[in-house]
Amino acid sequence: MVHSAISTDGLRKVYRSRMGRSDIVALDGLDLRVEPGEVFGLLGPNGAGKTTTVKILLGLTRASAGEARILGVPAERPESRRPVGYLPEGHRFPGYLTARSTLSIFGRMSGMEPPRLRTRTAELLDRVGLADWADVRVKKFSKGMTQRLGLAASLIHEPSVLMLDEPTDGVDPVGRREIRDLLAEEARAGRAILLNSHLLSEIELTCTRVAILRRGRVVAQGRIDDLTRRQSVYRLAAAPSGEHLVAEIRSTGAAVEAEGESLLLSVRDAEHLNAILDLVRRRGALVRELAPVRSSLEDVFVGLVRTGDTADGEMP
Amino acid sequence: MRALAANIEDVFREASARWTLVAYFALSSLFILLFAFAVNLDVVNGALAGAKLFGREIEMGGEHVDLDRLVLGFESGFSAFLYVVGTFLAIFATAHLVPRLQEKGTIDLYLSRPTGRVRLLLSRYAAGMLLAAANIIYLIGAIWAIVVWKTRIAHPRFFLAGAVILLGIAALLAFAFLIGVVTSSTGVSIMATYGLFFFSALLVSHGQIEAAVARPWEAAVVRWLYRILPKMAELGRATVALVAGPEGPERLREGVGAFPFWSTALFAAACLAAASGLFRRKDF
Repeated sequence: MVHSAISTDGLRKVYRSRMGRSDIVALDGLDLRVEPGEVFGLLGPNGAGKTTTVKILLGLTRASAGEARILGVPAERPESRRPVGYLPEGHRFPGYLTARSTLSIFGRMSGMEPPRLRTRTAELLDRVGLADWADVRVKKFSKGMTQRLGLAASLIHEPSVLMLDEPTDGVDPVGRREIRDLLAEEARAGRAILLNSHLLSEIELTCTRVAILRRGRVVAQGRIDDLTRRQSVYRLAAAPSGEHLVAEIRSTGAAVEAEGESLLLSVRDAEHLNAILDLVRRRGALVRELAPVRSSLEDVFVGLVRTGDTADGEMP
Repeated sequence: MRALAANIEDVFREASARWTLVAYFALSSLFILLFAFAVNLDVVNGALAGAKLFGREIEMGGEHVDLDRLVLGFESGFSAFLYVVGTFLAIFATAHLVPRLQEKGTIDLYLSRPTGRVRLLLSRYAAGMLLAAANIIYLIGAIWAIVVWKTRIAHPRFFLAGAVILLGIAALLAFAFLIGVVTSSTGVSIMATYGLFFFSALLVSHGQIEAAVARPWEAAVVRWLYRILPKMAELGRATVALVAGPEGPERLREGVGAFPFWSTALFAAACLAAASGLFRRKDF
């Protein structure tokens, strides 16, 4: 039986409050699937349940109900973490360790054999650009260097599942690009990567699929292309496209907006779009461009979060 | 096993990097140096030279004392001093092990590895005990070597003190771990553990306290506390008695049975079990 790299079913977490205050529902029936070779982004505003999800997957916190599994093994069992590499947000590697000893200690804690650990350490330090800093104590590292070391530590035991919390936090643009390339390479090697980040542009550049969480529930999930495609809105560039043509397109029932030299068409469906194209051609205009209009992931994210807030009777 | 070794190495690296290890061994070295200086004083050298010339006896306060018994007396007395100093230093050097582990940003790194929580906690306990044992062996071994060098008299019994001291440290460190798991505070762990040391030492007089309290239930509480808590005073006395051996004064051996040993070991096991249980269930 082939298992998802990460799976959650009806995952629920309630934080019991003290002093008679009401309980806090951090996760409310979360269903997720992350498959091998996939870079999956977990998005959501603060308090949406992203960190709680990752903590349950890593056995740092126990679920109140539901199931979380890593490659089919229940997350509460320590052996489920054998194939997992984790980079927590705001991690603090012991400052007294060097980059090399950090990888050595955490590699052995993951059960690595010393000979393989030595070669893997050298290879990873080189890969994350810390080869020259291998024997310098971590307390001397900048934020970006610590982040690179964290990434190396999460990869040291060649895990098949990676969970990364804000992996590019504090890293300069070149470093960010390098980390993105590294993640893409790891995904191509078949690793499943769960990325938890506030940087939507990073997610957009890195992830194949995302889930947007809000108040412990998934409010949208899918491929970024699908989520960002505005339903039935297309940009049409045709020449000549005078007032007369616009009026004729409107008469088919489409909404038309001028945007520079292009027209933004809101159509009912693909047949409607084709009918408009036929009309344009019949009128002797040359179609130069036709493309679906996309929103940015940020637009989708903000839209979903605000809609939810408004639906709950709160101010956006 | 690799994970256990990695954890122990981590604790030792941390101890040395935070100067804990250096301070711990520096203080111990200071005691050893003071002792070496004291036994090199002219008066000691003179007395020892006399003993070597005229047999195995030296004169003290008009009485002839057997040198062998004198050394034994010194070692048993010094073991009481080591018991207190060694225990206090050990707790000071190791009480941070759990609170530091539980710090935000650190605990995630350790728990995301495939080592079970209980194994992680116990490996740190083992590392703490190894640190304490290394220091106790260093202290006792150095003092013993100086005594042998000066007197040519070797009493291996002196090393028995180390075993009893380590039992006391094991109980107190287990308690410090329990407090550390609950509070995540090094300061509270140290204060609570030192508090336990003094309180349990006071309970050696539980008979008098029970007689002095007004109500029967108060006497029962005192009695049960005595039974449950480690027997720090009795262990101190046992340290001296064990080192002195059958040649030591009989009053030392009075009242030193097996109960202080097994009840203290039971207390350590109970604290470790409670700490492990709480650590295993804790949400981070």
